[in-house]
Amino acid sequence: MESDGTYTLRLTSADDAPFAFAASPAFARDGLCYAACGSGLYRSADGGAAWDLLPTSPEPVTTAVALSPAFSDDRSLFAAVKGGVLRSADGGDTWFTAGFPAPPPVFSSLAVSPDFERDGFLLAGTLEDGVFSSSDRGRSWQPWNFGLFDLNVLCLALSPAWMEDETAFAGTETGLYRSTNGGRAWRHTGFPAELAPALCIACLVDERSRSARLLVGTESNGLMASCDQGETWERLAADNLSEAVNQLHVDANGGVTLYAMTSDAVMRSDDGGLSWSDLIRVEGVATAMLPLGDILLLGVQGKGLMRLPLE
Amino acid sequence: MSEDRPFHTQKSYQPGLVFQPDVHRNIAAGINKLVAAIRPTLGPTPRTVAVTRLDDLRKTPEVLDSGGVIARKVIEMSQRDEDIGAMLARALICTQYERMGDGSATAAVLLGAIYRGGVHYLAAGGNAMRLRHFLERALAAALEGLDELTAPVSGKDKLARVAEAICHDPPLAKLLGEIFDIIGAYGQLDVRKDHSRVLRREYVEGMFWNSGLVSRDMIVNQKELQTVYEEPTIVIADFQINDPRHIMPMLELAVDHKVEKLLLIAGELSGDAVAGLMMANGKLKNFAVMAVRGPGMNPDDRQAAVEDLAVMTGGVPLLKVMGQNLKDIRREHFGGARRAWASTQSFGIIGGKGDPRQLRRHVSNLQAQYAREDDSERLDRIRARIGKLMGGSATLWIGGLSESEIEARKASAEATADAMRAAVRDGVLPGGGLSYLTARERLQPKMNGATDPDERAANRILYEALAEPARAIYENAGYEPGEVLGRIAQAGDGHGFDVLHGRLLDYTSLLDGASIQKMALKNAVLTAGLALTIDVLVHHRTPEIARDFG
Repeated sequence: MESDGTYTLRLTSADDAPFAFAASPAFARDGLCYAACGSGLYRSADGGAAWDLLPTSPEPVTTAVALSPAFSDDRSLFAAVKGGVLRSADGGDTWFTAGFPAPPPVFSSLAVSPDFERDGFLLAGTLEDGVFSSSDRGRSWQPWNFGLFDLNVLCLALSPAWMEDETAFAGTETGLYRSTNGGRAWRHTGFPAELAPALCIACLVDERSRSARLLVGTESNGLMASCDQGETWERLAADNLSEAVNQLHVDANGGVTLYAMTSDAVMRSDDGGLSWSDLIRVEGVATAMLPLGDILLLGVQGKGLMRLPLE
Repeated sequence: MSEDRPFHTQKSYQPGLVFQPDVHRNIAAGINKLVAAIRPTLGPTPRTVAVTRLDDLRKTPEVLDSGGVIARKVIEMSQRDEDIGAMLARALICTQYERMGDGSATAAVLLGAIYRGGVHYLAAGGNAMRLRHFLERALAAALEGLDELTAPVSGKDKLARVAEAICHDPPLAKLLGEIFDIIGAYGQLDVRKDHSRVLRREYVEGMFWNSGLVSRDMIVNQKELQTVYEEPTIVIADFQINDPRHIMPMLELAVDHKVEKLLLIAGELSGDAVAGLMMANGKLKNFAVMAVRGPGMNPDDRQAAVEDLAVMTGGVPLLKVMGQNLKDIRREHFGGARRAWASTQSFGIIGGKGDPRQLRRHVSNLQAQYAREDDSERLDRIRARIGKLMGGSATLWIGGLSESEIEARKASAEATADAMRAAVRDGVLPGGGLSYLTARERLQPKMNGATDPDERAANRILYEALAEPARAIYENAGYEPGEVLGRIAQAGDGHGFDVLHGRLLDYTSLLDGASIQKMALKNAVLTAGLALTIDVLVHHRTPEIARDFG
């Protein structure tokens, strides 16, 4: 630990850095969080101060991790490794694998249904094989790519009203696709092709205006927003968010507070994305982030996994 | 439209000319007879029509409830003047059925009402040509009214409601709702007979063509009788390969580029060329090749398949028209995919490595071509191409208790599928004749405001005809049409009548395909307008023999 309260875990390789973080819904109480890294899946039970490498699979590279919304009860979590998605029902102590068709897919993202306890539904995005879905808690997976012309899926997001509208979004190298039937079929949205790739997606409901919004981070055009399920788009905060937006996070406080990660900064917006200010400047290349109340988990290329205090 | 009048047993007709008022009276009689035969099939409680079999009168008659199918079975009327009217109506009904799969009874009922109203007006001294002109103007206003009511449809539950309004078969409608929610307007759907007693559906990932391996010796998995390649390189050529020496440059280039699996899609391969490939399979280390025949039954289809495969896989095809052969192959001719499979009957590609932007543009161009096309065969071909490029297909298996039940359900599923495509593509309207009732509001001011008597008459005729489909539906369900229309009017805008449960309801819960209803109305008005202008009939002598038109 450094004097400013920062913890840093240097990973096994200097090049290694987290691809993704996930935290328990009861993080404030149990302090459980996970980091998917090139060297494997790490777990911390003390809010990110100390990390253990979990025994997942012989293939260590873990590109995504996601927890069940009912994690406190079912202890279910999922980790994407090369060629498969692993599942654990005991918080990560034991793991099971599911088969995927050859050649082995490379996973980019995982999305768990908000109603997972009842429907057991997950989506997994891959870099060459499109989207796979599972309706049995990750035991078996089926490719669902009808209408998905671009199979290089970079990110996935489920609508906050998933239980009613079964709407999902997939960001790809060449655009943004929407499914209104639980990922079974995809249609291209009005996302401008020249703004692709779509690097990250956030779906939020602004509780003040009761409107649903879709935010997409792009490589060279900052942040784009749509209020009509992706048909029309406007650019947000063009002045201070103009570079690649690699990750977005919506705080669970009514969709007003947002976090965006660029390659060298984590930024924060308290007005639903209209204006942004620097939260942290990063020395190096930021690879993943997860704000958790008064701390921030951050992955930095060459530095590893960091836990930073937030004021 | 098909002119399938398979057996036409002509009577001994004398030549002659027929003048008014017989022309209108007799054409009306012909139209009315055919409309009366089809009218009972309109709505969710259709009654049936029994038709004797053409091939053997001793066989059990066919019992039908589809207006389009019934019209096709009506070959001629015994009275020659009536025959002309009936065949005009038949042409309208068959066109509607073949193009849309639904709406044929609606078109028939509209035609009957418009022609009847028109003849009454002409008998009172109206001008047929002017009436036709104003009918077409009134049609434009009514279509604008329908456009305003048209709404897009999505979601399996809504689509199932649309399907149920067409096929009146809830289990089939439920499956079709789910299928069309996934495959959309252009997706590939095969409807097949099944040996089981139930309905089931299956979805297949990727694209496949009914064209297989050039040799059984290329089958690797003898159990499943197919060969599967991971990460294959794909070469597409549209010509026949006869000389085995021509395949050498391709094999050399593949080995130079460390290709491990090669799929060759070519017009045809000679025995020697196949032997050359088999030799490469045996001799080259870490290398395997298979070849399939290029898909397509005719040059147009073959060219289209080559174009689609090239876009999908990112390979540049080798084309005969460019004077190319396999000796000209270069690196850019190589396409790729995540997986490819082939059997002796078919082959498929999953995860083609073509440029997704180009693929989207290609599909958009095909969709634009589809919107411009009129010919039903070409429409089917374009739709099939788009369906393949969408990345998957669905198969609906139709089971049942007997062969005849399966046949009937399969025909119903196919017709409903056509209508569903139109509904997904062009949106939906309130069903049960309600959209026509609502569109009448567009005609009301024109009817009251017109100073020209022919214009006023045309608006009135169409205004009254637009209520006829709803009246027929209520009548067929055993209700008094006037009473039901009164209840709807009393309930106010946005209400309809559910004939199955005998209650008023929000009209958006009854859905019909918009383009089906628009086409039925448009063609009924155009046919009626044309029929009203017929003033003289000319009959020729016909030979007294049975002629086979088949």
